[in-house]
Amino acid sequence: MNTPPESEIVFIVDDDESFLKSVSRLLRAAGYSVNAFGSAKKFLEQIAPGMSGCVLADLQMPGLNGLELQAALVKSASPMPVIFLSAQGDIPTTVKAMRGGAEDFLTKLDPKEKLLDAIRRALARGAREHKARGHLRTLRERFATLTPREMEVLEQVVSGHLNKQIADRLGINERTVKLHRTNLTRRLNVKSVAELTRLTEEAGMFRRGKTD
Amino acid sequence: MAFALAIFGRLDCPAQNAQGQTNSQPKHVLMLFSEGKDVPGNILQEQAVKAEMQKDSTNRLEFSSEYLDASHFSGKEHFRVFQNYIGKKYDGRNLDLVVAFPSQDYMLAGELPDALFPVVPVVFVAVNEMDVPLAISKLGVTGIVQRFDIRGTLGLIMRLQPDTRRVVVIGGTTESDRATLGRIAEESQSMEGVQFDFWTNRPVTKLPGDVSSLPEGTVILLSTVQRDVTGQPYHTSMLAQMLAPEASVPVYVLGGWALGSGAVGGAVIDPDDLGARAGQLALRVLGGEDPEKVPIVVATKGTPMVDWRALQRWGINESRVPADALIRYRPQTLWDEHQDLILILLAVFLAQAVTITGLVLQRSQRRRAEAVILDQRTELAHVTRVSAMGQLTSAISHELNQPLGAILRNAEAAEIFLQKENPDLEEIRAILADIRKDDQRAGDVIKRMRSLLKRRSLDLKPLNLDELLAETVAMAQPDARARKIFLTLQLREKLPEVLGDRVHLQQVLLNLILNGMDAMTGVPKSQRLLTVSAKQAKDGGVEATVSDCGSGIAPDKIGRLFEPFFTTKENGMGMGLAISQTIIEAHGGKIWGGNNSPRGAAFFFTLPANDD
Repeated sequence: MNTPPESEIVFIVDDDESFLKSVSRLLRAAGYSVNAFGSAKKFLEQIAPGMSGCVLADLQMPGLNGLELQAALVKSASPMPVIFLSAQGDIPTTVKAMRGGAEDFLTKLDPKEKLLDAIRRALARGAREHKARGHLRTLRERFATLTPREMEVLEQVVSGHLNKQIADRLGINERTVKLHRTNLTRRLNVKSVAELTRLTEEAGMFRRGKTD
Repeated sequence: MAFALAIFGRLDCPAQNAQGQTNSQPKHVLMLFSEGKDVPGNILQEQAVKAEMQKDSTNRLEFSSEYLDASHFSGKEHFRVFQNYIGKKYDGRNLDLVVAFPSQDYMLAGELPDALFPVVPVVFVAVNEMDVPLAISKLGVTGIVQRFDIRGTLGLIMRLQPDTRRVVVIGGTTESDRATLGRIAEESQSMEGVQFDFWTNRPVTKLPGDVSSLPEGTVILLSTVQRDVTGQPYHTSMLAQMLAPEASVPVYVLGGWALGSGAVGGAVIDPDDLGARAGQLALRVLGGEDPEKVPIVVATKGTPMVDWRALQRWGINESRVPADALIRYRPQTLWDEHQDLILILLAVFLAQAVTITGLVLQRSQRRRAEAVILDQRTELAHVTRVSAMGQLTSAISHELNQPLGAILRNAEAAEIFLQKENPDLEEIRAILADIRKDDQRAGDVIKRMRSLLKRRSLDLKPLNLDELLAETVAMAQPDARARKIFLTLQLREKLPEVLGDRVHLQQVLLNLILNGMDAMTGVPKSQRLLTVSAKQAKDGGVEATVSDCGSGIAPDKIGRLFEPFFTTKENGMGMGLAISQTIIEAHGGKIWGGNNSPRGAAFFFTLPANDD
């Protein structure tokens, strides 16, 4: 394939083989990378962190239907915008799907312009969310390199405590505290306490609910 | 109204400008009675109203009468059934006037005509003591409220029998009965030295015994008795006939219809006179006077009337009878006597005939009312059936949209490929093969559905198409009303029996009716006329027609009407007529459609007669 991995992919999920084939063909012709699945279960099994793109799913499918697929996807490692395709749209299902965060709701007989437009929008949103998730992930990965003791020291630092206080609280030598601080600022690649505090917040560390 | 007059009774659509009515058409007057037909007061009033109205020769008149018979059949459910029955029976009839004889609730003059015939003027004749409800005056109906002349009757009693010391008042227990008794109690205040006893707690069956031993100086005043204390319904005139011959003292009455029973008389309501006054009022309204501008008349004066034979029986001197009072049943010359006898006999015969016809009618009415209830019950089943059809359609459209969607996506992909510099012909060939495959698949869906229809093999039974037509039209009627469409059923002759499947034929009819309604959405309200009719076909079978006044069918499309997926509706599936054709042909009939002159479309189908 001429598309690099990690690029934006349109995942198509439809139990109707013929439709699956035709819509894959159309999207490929329109220049998209496509990954087609005959059922929601098969698709969800393939989901891995770092996947980016959008999902085009049939609403009525045996096994997991479109709405259930959407619910599972939200909780998965790679949430992506979902566009529903239905052979026949009825209002209650549409409303339910849109409430669940569906990007769009189209019928199978809608013209391709409408479909391609919806995919463009979904991919843009997916990319935005993916980028945000990626940032968060790298941030968390950086925090993950800290030792448990360094995490303890970090928590005290961002809470505004001085080295002496930290040493008392953790029952360690003040010099050791200094050492941990130097190590963790280096590993997190930050220059100031202010920057440290901002990063900690962005990564969602030490939020409320964490035990003190 | 002008619109209704112009279109009723015609199969063809109204011209763009509906014309006014012609005088040659008879005026149709519907008389609605709250009581049964066998009530003498009703018979006399009805005759009097008709006689008075027929004196006027400007219009030919056609009368229909209907009887709620509230005394025997009370309750909201019965009223609703009656209302439905009237609604269905007169649906499509051109009514010019309703003359109502309501009970004290005035529903027959207000609620019912307002719901069923909102544009038809109403004149009412009410005999009771209650005030006319404000709601009635607001509806713009006019009429006469006739009160019982209690003061006049008490005056007559004292004039004929000055020695009266006690009046036994016999009355009933309904609200209306109690209102009359209340008036008597009120008037009794001014009768010093006379004691009033109100007998309302005695079952009517006990009364003949009780009245046979009343002491001298007492008279009986028969108030109204619609129901006695046991809840048994009665007519006051019937009671007079039971009591007057048995009573040991003279009986006085309030209604002219109770005279002749042996009662002495009273300042009675004269049904002939009341009917004549009502007839005059009806003529004024029929002549075009706005009923809203004709004030409701409240009449309190009765006509003093005595029975000569009763005067003889109680030894009351004729000189005591007031000069303005009418003396009835006085034997005159031999010839006069014979004439009277003949007249009385004739009247009796007539009354008997009327009563018998009334009873027969009542029975058939009850049967029809029962049929209406049955109808409503089956209606529920039918609605389920129709929605099942909707589900079927929905399933079919889902099944069809899959291959159609695939065809569309493939065609779109092919378009994109073809726009490229070096189109991949191999790919395009594959696409075309897939399109063909999906086309086949769509065709299979249709075939499957058709065979499904066939396989749900027709349950052919002998049936009367007229009933089926009426039932289906009734089913579609709420929808038609909501869409301001005038849906009528026209059956001019008895139709031969056919062999058919009710459910399937009903679907065909419903489909044609709904199509007709859809076709008239753009047409002005006054011209939305949808007619279902049927007649005997040349080959002995039945030919049914559903004819609308809509936009018609474009000539180049007539030939394609029954093709599957052919539709002229924005959201149409194009399946209705195709399915209808399958059904009708499976019955051995034919279905076709075309344009009406001057406007609209008509669909016809035939069914062979049942030869068994």
